[in-house]
Amino acid sequence: MGTYLIGYTAIALVVVFVIFVNLVSRRIIFKNNLKMQQIFAHPLLLYSLRRIGSALISILLAITATFFLIHLKSRGVMICKQAIGTWDKLGESIRELHCANLKARLGITDNWFLDLFRYYYKILPFPKTVCESYDVGTIVGAETIYTVTNQNCRNFILDLGTVFFLGGGHNGKFVLDLISEKMVISFKIGIIAIFVELLLGYPMGILMAKYKDGVFDKIGKTYIITIDAIPGVAYYYIWMAIFAGLGLPTMYDSSNVVTYIAPALTMGFTGMAGIALWVRRFMLEEFNSDYVKFARAKGLSENRIMYTHILRNAIVPLVRSIPAAILGALLGTFYIEKIYGIDGIGGLLVVSESQNDYFVLQGIIVVAALISIVSYLAGDIVTAMVDPRVSFTKE
Amino acid sequence: MRNNSVKNLDAAIYHNVEDLFSVIGASEENIEKLTSAPYSYWRETFKQLIKKPLAILSLIVIILIVLFTIFGPMIKSYSITGTPDIFDANQSWSKDHWFGTGGNKMKYYKGLDLWTVVWVGARLSLILGTVVALIDTFLGIFIGSLWGYFRRLDPIMIEIRNFVNNVPSLLLYFLLMAFLQPNFWTIVFLLTMFGWIGLAGFIRNQIIIIRNRDYNIASITLGSSPRAMIMHNLLPYLISVIVTVVSTAIPAAVSSEVGLAFFGLSFTPVKGDVTLGQVLTDATRDEWMTYPYLLIAPMVVLVPLTVSFFYIGLVLADATDPKNHR
Repeated sequence: MGTYLIGYTAIALVVVFVIFVNLVSRRIIFKNNLKMQQIFAHPLLLYSLRRIGSALISILLAITATFFLIHLKSRGVMICKQAIGTWDKLGESIRELHCANLKARLGITDNWFLDLFRYYYKILPFPKTVCESYDVGTIVGAETIYTVTNQNCRNFILDLGTVFFLGGGHNGKFVLDLISEKMVISFKIGIIAIFVELLLGYPMGILMAKYKDGVFDKIGKTYIITIDAIPGVAYYYIWMAIFAGLGLPTMYDSSNVVTYIAPALTMGFTGMAGIALWVRRFMLEEFNSDYVKFARAKGLSENRIMYTHILRNAIVPLVRSIPAAILGALLGTFYIEKIYGIDGIGGLLVVSESQNDYFVLQGIIVVAALISIVSYLAGDIVTAMVDPRVSFTKE
Repeated sequence: MRNNSVKNLDAAIYHNVEDLFSVIGASEENIEKLTSAPYSYWRETFKQLIKKPLAILSLIVIILIVLFTIFGPMIKSYSITGTPDIFDANQSWSKDHWFGTGGNKMKYYKGLDLWTVVWVGARLSLILGTVVALIDTFLGIFIGSLWGYFRRLDPIMIEIRNFVNNVPSLLLYFLLMAFLQPNFWTIVFLLTMFGWIGLAGFIRNQIIIIRNRDYNIASITLGSSPRAMIMHNLLPYLISVIVTVVSTAIPAAVSSEVGLAFFGLSFTPVKGDVTLGQVLTDATRDEWMTYPYLLIAPMVVLVPLTVSFFYIGLVLADATDPKNHR
């Protein structure tokens, strides 16, 4: 009941907000109220709304295209055979019965477009009650007895279906639960990595720009080139060898925080190179601008110019990527998760692909696409907050 | 009044000219002589390139690696397709096996001479990387220049780019490889499928920046066709960018193959289709922490190869820029 209330209220609020913004910006209502015009007809707000609209279309396209690819693949490999363990011992007629049952539970028909629209219905963001049962057929003599292992009903706003083939004790769970459970694991490592890359990348870039062509700059450049050039896999293993040499545990264990260090540092040291490169580039671009020359002419100290004048301006194009990085940490990485044995989203995607669990696969794509929308938006907001030239209320 | 002043001015100018200069007359010989050295774009680029000792080193490394991929396997007469002796497995560096031999837990290269395996792998990796880089560059430049020149393509191309950004590419590789047999051209197809889009976007941005320069507007006014505009006005301006992109695309493609191989999406190495990615992945299956030479063998080739190409690309970025010439 709570979900319904919250869901419909949220939808109503969003719809009202979008209509309101449109009406205000077209000067149909609040024509003479300057304050309202400044807030709700702000170009940034309109731009964000338009951007979300076009991003929703992109998401729809991505979901549709991957839906067909996934179904093209997993229907080719006999889903019934995979799901029913005793398939080989069954007779032809029982097989067909089983298969029909299974398909009904999975929500698969022979009409792909019908399935596609059903999936759209599932992910449309309005509240709905979903009851899923995952049951295993066992053969006793000629009879098939279904034992219900899991039956639960829940209110969903975003329904991503049920896990069917994944194994590992996950079958029968809701995909949304599974994904959020795995996301926590990926995020724990990812957020440490982001702290490492921000705390090391920015000072590294600043120092490289400050002492351009100095020793530190040369070392930094070499590091960045190396990271950019050699394959990620090779590079991760080099770090793994170094960490192993230092005596750090290299196999991930969720209960032992010390095991988080090696993967997080590997991730952080990789991201650091990219950040340092861009910080250096943007800062050097600002070095010769008029306001810097003026500040120097005023007699400000070099440090003051560096940190309050140049950095403030150079940082504007860079902060846009920070929300994307933080939200991206929810999705984990493929290579590092595989190398260090972390069972996060990256690993989930690989396993669900090999097990043909297409609700999980499709669910990951939906979540990834939603995250990309939110991070676009958050990037815009953060840029506006940092950039002194953009403001939400003043002219 | 006006005529008078003009006459005065003329007189002043002629007077000064006669004072300042002496007429030496025309000379047939001097007409043929050039006072400045002839300018050749590529020669100047080459001059800039050889000024950097590290670039020379990188070139030497690349040439050495290419030579070794051809002659390396010939030095040692080990086969990489035959069934190896079990007792040969897991040997460290020795006189017989310079890079050691494959470990017991390796899936494909157990007991094989890693020196041979690595060089044969480097050969295929390099060929693959070059082919992919060339196709990527061609597609990227072709589509990117059209995309930049005809703004009406924008909605479609941006949708494609969003799709590539939204969907994890590894997932698409997995799904596509379910239908495709892994062989040379399918791997090339996988790697080029999304490889061009970054370059196309880059070229598009560059073209949008230079499209409305005066010389281009003049050209359009004189009735140049879009084809002539792109071929003669826009792309020659971007030659520096293009050369750089080609040379960094090769290590990028080699790296992508390593990534594919790590998830078992590359070749099935039964008929001698070895790539560096395969060797690296196979080494990680074994206990490489105890037997580090397993992992060192592919790394010794992979790291210098990619870093050299990448560095050459960066140097070329400066060297091919006409602003840096002279």
